[in-house]
Amino acid sequence: MKSSFVLRQTLNSLWRERTPVTASILTIGIALIILISLFEVSMALYRNLNDLKQNMVVEVYLEPSRGEADAGRLAAQLENYGTIERIRVVSKDVAAEIFEKEFGENIYDILKENPLPVTIEVRLLPEYNHSDYLALFKKQVEALSGVDEVHYRHVLVEKLETITQAVLISGIVVLIVLVFAMNLLIRNTIKLSVYARREQIAIMKILGAGNLFVRLPYILEGALEGLIGGIMAATGLIIAHKFIADSFAAVHFSPMVYKMLWINTISVGILIGLFVSAAAVGHFVHKIHAKK
Amino acid sequence: MIRFSHVTVNYGYVPGALKDINLQLHKGDFTLLLGPTGSGKSTLLRLIYMDILPSAGAVSVEDRWSSARISPRQINLLRRNIGVVFQDFRLIENMSVFDNVALPLVIEGYRSKYIRQVARALLDEVNMLQAADQPASTLSLGEKQRVAIARAMAKNPIIVIADEPTGNLDREASQNVLSLLERFNRNGTSILMATHDYELIKDTPYRRIYMENGELRQPDRTMNVGKERIFKTSTEE
Ligand SMILES: Nc1ncnc2c1ncn2[C@@H]1O[C@H](COP(=O)(O)OP(=O)(O)OP(=O)(O)O)[C@@H](O)[C@H]1O
Ligand SMILES: [Mg+2]
Repeated sequence: MKSSFVLRQTLNSLWRERTPVTASILTIGIALIILISLFEVSMALYRNLNDLKQNMVVEVYLEPSRGEADAGRLAAQLENYGTIERIRVVSKDVAAEIFEKEFGENIYDILKENPLPVTIEVRLLPEYNHSDYLALFKKQVEALSGVDEVHYRHVLVEKLETITQAVLISGIVVLIVLVFAMNLLIRNTIKLSVYARREQIAIMKILGAGNLFVRLPYILEGALEGLIGGIMAATGLIIAHKFIADSFAAVHFSPMVYKMLWINTISVGILIGLFVSAAAVGHFVHKIHAKK
Repeated sequence: MIRFSHVTVNYGYVPGALKDINLQLHKGDFTLLLGPTGSGKSTLLRLIYMDILPSAGAVSVEDRWSSARISPRQINLLRRNIGVVFQDFRLIENMSVFDNVALPLVIEGYRSKYIRQVARALLDEVNMLQAADQPASTLSLGEKQRVAIARAMAKNPIIVIADEPTGNLDREASQNVLSLLERFNRNGTSILMATHDYELIKDTPYRRIYMENGELRQPDRTMNVGKERIFKTSTEE
């Protein structure tokens, strides 16, 4: 009886305040679409950037006089740093093969000898793949005897880092703005619902109704708005994903992606509605009591 | 049963809505609270269901609740044991008559079957069963007050407090409301009723408490018919 009473109150209130309720639902829906898309784009970017970084190779060129034995010794020394994921010694011959593959000419044909130095290719552990450590690594390794030069694509690394940061910061800014807007609209709807029923709330208090019983209909109202907004947003997002997958042959999404879209979008919607209305309703209900 | 000890109420900066009230209400009594407008009747009633708390002194109910030390939770419990009837009915207008009467029982968390039984029996007693499914807003004023009395009785209260329950009603409806309250009183419910309507209560034998300017006046002997206790009460602690 108690729960059916609360539920009836909730539905009644949703219907009664249908204009602001619709505005809240639309805001939640649109905000969720932006939020989830932003999240997906950031994640995709982040993954790609990480892949790029992961595949970044630091090349340690030895002095021309040094041979593979020196390279082996140096490689062992570098491995002791504990920051290296993979290390490989590229002999003069292998370097020549690579040269031929890349430039289509045999280096012996051009120069009659092989001037390519022995090289150590280093792949750092992911957590050390940032410009600060790379610069330190370069300086330190170049100081070792037998090393001619350490080379990595520092322009690329720095660019990747700037992009990642920009995405992160703009994501956070958009997130804050959206949460703020949703909070404002849902709060306003709850306020209207509570004030429309201030007489009823005052009466329930005189009858000795507990806090939860008085507030629950409005909290549920927020959660339902979140649910409906979430369903709308999830539908929109899924249509958009299907459209993208159909338009670009290279892009396809697994069924798991669609499933997660449903679950995540709707549960985020419900949670937002629940928390915002729970936070708001106490405030407005309390005001009514003070006036009574 | 209900005891006021040196109770003073100041509303904000307005002092002396009630001044050092000492009063005791007894189980099973029908008590009338009389006095001119602004004399403090509503204030005294609101103290009992702790809608306001005294600025000084204490109100206690059944030795179980005292305004001197009561939590919001306990106030809710207290209110579930007191029925209140207002001049303006305070029904929830867009809810059905049945739901209005059922509300205190729903708040208490009783089972639907029990709620239906009790609410229908009460509506029958106040002669409103035929309107059970109508929204409260469709009722006449007299009918609304009967429903409000049924709601006040739903929890078998310690006392029913009625603040000018006939203030908006015509003679016939007023008489009807008084008769209802008298009937519940005969069945054991204590009643405290504030009223302006001397005509309505002039022939009743009940204890009368007179208020003036936030204070209790000595009972007027000529108007006091009935129980002996009334001659002591206004000086009683
Ligand atoms: N909320 C309030 N704020 C300030 N003063 C108040 C408030 N409520 C009542 N008062 C004042 O307290 C005094 C007692 O008021 P109360 O309502 O108890 O009188 P009453 O006897 O019930 O009058 P009435 O017969 O008109 O209902 C009055 O002077 C009134 O103006
Ligand atoms: Mg009054």
